[in-house]
Amino acid sequence: MESGAGERSSQYSEMDDYESLISTTDAELLKRAWQNEKAAPQILRFEAALVQRSREQIQLMEETVEEYTRNGSDPLTVSLYQMDLDRTLFLLRSYLRTRLQKIEKYMFHIQKTTELWNRLSRPEQKFMGRCIEDMEQHLDQSVLSKLPSSYKSHLKQSSSSEEDDMVPEPQLDTYVICRSNRFLGAFQLDDSGEETVNIEADDLYALPYKSIKPLVETGQIDLV
Amino acid sequence: MYGKKGSELVRELASSEPGQLSAFNNDLFAQVIEECTGHLLHLGPLIRKIEQIKKIEEVKKLNNQELEESDKATLKAHNSGALVHHLSLLRNKRCLMAYVYNRAEAIRSLGWAIDRVLPEEIEEKLSSSEKEYFKNHAASLQSYMSELDLDLAVDMVPPKDPYIKVRVLEDIGNVVLSDQSANLACHAILFLRRTDAEHYISQGLMEELNG
Repeated sequence: MESGAGERSSQYSEMDDYESLISTTDAELLKRAWQNEKAAPQILRFEAALVQRSREQIQLMEETVEEYTRNGSDPLTVSLYQMDLDRTLFLLRSYLRTRLQKIEKYMFHIQKTTELWNRLSRPEQKFMGRCIEDMEQHLDQSVLSKLPSSYKSHLKQSSSSEEDDMVPEPQLDTYVICRSNRFLGAFQLDDSGEETVNIEADDLYALPYKSIKPLVETGQIDLV
Repeated sequence: MYGKKGSELVRELASSEPGQLSAFNNDLFAQVIEECTGHLLHLGPLIRKIEQIKKIEEVKKLNNQELEESDKATLKAHNSGALVHHLSLLRNKRCLMAYVYNRAEAIRSLGWAIDRVLPEEIEEKLSSSEKEYFKNHAASLQSYMSELDLDLAVDMVPPKDPYIKVRVLEDIGNVVLSDQSANLACHAILFLRRTDAEHYISQGLMEELNG
């Protein structure tokens, strides 16, 4: 927000600079992280630094609003600041909330996939641990304790299953809408390399999440 | 027919609207569990018989003899019998688990919409284990939020205006809000900070007025 206000004066002469600068402000980054998290079927890496910065900024904005209110500044200015603050707070809360909901949904899957487990923040990991305990207890009380001993696992159908075949997993081949802000060239959709897509800057594509997963994870493409 | 009750249970789940909870079907649930126990009762003796015949087969093999035709046939029959019971059990287990698991999902999403205490009309639809699950889960969520020092249960919809118009539904009395102290008497219509009002709204003490 601060950098945006400074840029606004030279808005007309350096429109491009402004555009590129505004797209790297924390507010914009948070929006992107939130959008990606909302659209991706799988849990993404926790944006620890970004969340930390956003929280500091929120605190700063809260102090500003408070100060302005105390000084009896123009109510319109205060309310504009307040609105900006509310929006950032919403983005942050919704971002964290979306992640928690994914954790709740795929807890057993995340638990046994180290890569996904490492994407969570510490509090999220703690939360998931408790979630799993609660769920296990509930399943056990309701169903599993009443079943024969070789059918008691909540991960396997029976003790004769070799793999965990009762764990809900996210569907990775679902289609997502995505957009890249720069030209990425021909991109292979599947391993066979038969289907390729030319990814142009700022064009919208509907592609299976599975095939663009690496691009999402490295931040080359955004989900909408 | 085996597995029919289990599928009924799941059908009940599928026919209700997503996110809506119907009363926990204790009777049907218990019947399916009973069916599972029944399967096990069949399964045990069958497996013992199969093992007996297999032992005979091994002994005969040592003497370079083959199983008698009748024994082969019974082995086959027992094998298929055991398989049917095993698969029916699995299917019933999946149905039971799906029922409980999907209801648990709905219960969790309730946890976001309402504040900690379940309204009576919902509570009576839950099994005792489900009630406990709701409490435990709410506590887990609460401990996450207090660790972060951020209340995630507000701000459920994107904000348009910092203030919203609300009507008070029950006498709450004088309350100090973040920006003012207000007398929240029944039927009063007020402009409140959205974040202040959301708590009351989720507890059903206020409603938002649109337009």
